[in-house]
Amino acid sequence: MAVIDYKYKDVIHRCFRCGYCKFPNNWIDVNNCPAYARFRMETYSCGGRLWLVRAWVNGEIDWSEHFAQIVYSCTACKNCEQQCPLRFNVDIVNMIVAAKSEMVERGEIPPSAKEFLENVQRQGNPYGNSREKRGEWMEGTGIEAYQGQEFLYYVGCVGSYDTRGQKTARVLGKVLQKAGVSFGVLGNDENCDGNEVRSLGEETLFEMLAEENVAQFQSLGVQKIVTLSPHSYNAMKNDYPGFNGGFDVAHYTQLLQSLISDGRLDVSGGVNATVTYHDPCFLGRWNEEYEAPRNVLKSIPGIQLIEMERNRDGALCCGGGGGNFYIDLLGGSEDSPARRRVREAHETGADVLAVACPNCLTMLEDAVKAEELEDKLTVKDVAEIVGEACGIK
Amino acid sequence: MDIVACIKRVPDTSEVDVIKIDASQKDIEKDRLVFKINDWDEYVLEEAVQLREKLGGTLTAVTVGHNDWDDVLRRALAMGADTGIRIDQDVSAEDTHVVAKILKTVIQQIPHDLVLFGAQSEDFGSGQLGAMVAEMLDIPHATLVVGLEAEEKRVRVNRELEAGTLESYTIELPALLTIHTGINQPRYISLGGIKRAMKKELQVMSLSDLQLSPDALNPMVRLEKLELPPKGEGAELITGAPGEAAEQLTKILKDTGIF
Repeated sequence: MAVIDYKYKDVIHRCFRCGYCKFPNNWIDVNNCPAYARFRMETYSCGGRLWLVRAWVNGEIDWSEHFAQIVYSCTACKNCEQQCPLRFNVDIVNMIVAAKSEMVERGEIPPSAKEFLENVQRQGNPYGNSREKRGEWMEGTGIEAYQGQEFLYYVGCVGSYDTRGQKTARVLGKVLQKAGVSFGVLGNDENCDGNEVRSLGEETLFEMLAEENVAQFQSLGVQKIVTLSPHSYNAMKNDYPGFNGGFDVAHYTQLLQSLISDGRLDVSGGVNATVTYHDPCFLGRWNEEYEAPRNVLKSIPGIQLIEMERNRDGALCCGGGGGNFYIDLLGGSEDSPARRRVREAHETGADVLAVACPNCLTMLEDAVKAEELEDKLTVKDVAEIVGEACGIK
Repeated sequence: MDIVACIKRVPDTSEVDVIKIDASQKDIEKDRLVFKINDWDEYVLEEAVQLREKLGGTLTAVTVGHNDWDDVLRRALAMGADTGIRIDQDVSAEDTHVVAKILKTVIQQIPHDLVLFGAQSEDFGSGQLGAMVAEMLDIPHATLVVGLEAEEKRVRVNRELEAGTLESYTIELPALLTIHTGINQPRYISLGGIKRAMKKELQVMSLSDLQLSPDALNPMVRLEKLELPPKGEGAELITGAPGEAAEQLTKILKDTGIF
C-alpha cells in the first residue's frame, strides 16, 4: 500500500546513495552511521534507509517488522546531514522521522518503540515507572522545588529514573548549590521533554508534551532553564518556541563554563586524569556546542584532555538516540556503536571517557563492561568530574 | 461478521508499591493513580479489528463505568471499532455476576455473531466474566483462546492448557471467546488516532435504559476487605554493591543445592 501523504515524496528520490553519509568528516572510517556500523549492511545506512522508504512510499515494498526495525534503527545523530553533499541534506533525518510518523499513525512500529510511547502516554517517561517516583532521585540532597528561583533545573527522564542517571542528576544539583546558583526542580511534577517522542515519529504526543510543559513553565514564571540532558536542551531551545515557549535555555555545561570563568565555581581542587570527551549528538551536531564541555574540562587542574580521532561534528553516536537507549535496536554486538566508541576512547590512552549526556553515559558505561575495560576506562559525566574538582562526592 | 468486544479500564499496577488501600478497606486510593486499558483487552481489540478487516460486519466496543471510562472506548474507536457503548454505572465494588447481568442485557440488543472478552482483568483477575455472560446468553464459549480462525458461521479456536498444550475446537456461531495474551501483536494507538476518535460519538446508556433496576442485580459475592499481602518471611533482600550482591547470591544458590 503506497503512502499517499508522505511529506518528502518529491525529494526523497534525490539520494543516489553516494555513501558519503556513512563517513565522518575526516573520512577515516566508513562506520560513522551508527546503524550501518552495527549491521554493516547498506539497508541500514542512511542512503539505504532512504531508498527503502522511497520504495515503501511508492508501494513497491510492503511494510514488515524488519523494515520498521531498519527505519527505527536510525538514531537521528545527524552524521548523514553533516556529510551529505546534496542540498536536500537538511531534511534527511526529517525524512526518516516522517516515515516513522506514518508507521505510528498505522500503529505498525517495533514492539519496543510501542512500549516506549505507551509508557510516555501513561506515566510521562519511557520506563513506565510511576509519575509518583519521578522526584525520588533528589531525596536527601536539599534541592528545592522550583518556586521562582533564577533557573529551572530540568532533569529529564534518564536523570530522574535511571540509577546511573540519577547519580549524575544529584551531583549536578550539588555543584549548582556549591556555586550558589538560585535554582529549583519540578520533582514529581516534571514531565517528559518529548525530544525522543518526536524522533520516534509520535508528533501529536510530542505536541501535547511541549504544550503542557510550556504551560507549566509559564504558570510558574520560569524564564531560564538549565538542562541535564542535551535531548531536553534541544527540544526546549529549538522546538518549544514553536509552542509559544521562548525560554532562555542552557545546557548545564554552558552554565558551568560561565560559573567557572566568573569565579563562582572553584575547581582548583583539580582531578588527575587523562580525559577524552565524547560529543553527544544533541549537543554537538544538533546544536553546534562543541567547546563549552571542553572548556569546562580544560579549566580543571590536573586534567589532560585528548581527542578521539572522530570528534566534534565527526563524532560517532553512542547509538542511544532516536529512543534507542531504550528500544535498543543497535545493541547486542561488538559492532554496536557504543562498543566501537569505547574501544576508540580506550585507544587514545585516556583513563576517563567524559560525556555530557545521561543517555550517552548509560550507553557507554554498559559498553565498557561489555568490552571488559572497567579497569582501564571509566565513563564519567562532565558534571561528576567538576563535582570531584569541587570536593563533592 | 458482527463482533462485540467487552473491555475494561484498570489501574496501571506496573509498580505495585504505589497501590494503597483506602479508608473503607474495600477499594484502593485512586486519586494519583494512572489508568489504562486492561492488558488482555488490547489483544481482544486487535483480534476483533483484524477479523472485521478480513470478514467485514460491525465491531462494537462495550464497557461499564463512569465517564472516566470513555478513554478505553476512545482507544477502541481509534483502533477501528465502529461504535462505543458505555453503561454509566460504577461497578467497581460489585461482583462479577452483577457486571455479567448488565453486559448480557446490552449484548442482547446488539447484533452479535462473536462476543470477545479478555481472559481476565489485571485488577481483580477472576477470569469468570466471559464464561458467565456466555451462560446467560445461552451461547457456546471457549476460554483462554490463543489462536482463532473465523469463517462465516463458525470459528476454529486453540485454547492454551498446561505446559503449552493446545486444545482445538470448532464452535458454531454465535459464540463467546475469552482471549489470552500472545494471540496477536496489538498495534500502537497514536495520540493523533485517539484525538480523531474524540469526534466519534459514544453511546451512553443507563441501567434504566436497559430496563434494569439496581435492586434486581443481585450480587452473589460481597467484598469484605481488601488488604495488601503481608511481608512474607523467608525472603532475603540482598543489598550492597553489584559484585558483592552477586557473590552472596551465588553462595545462596550453591548452599541450597540449586546449582
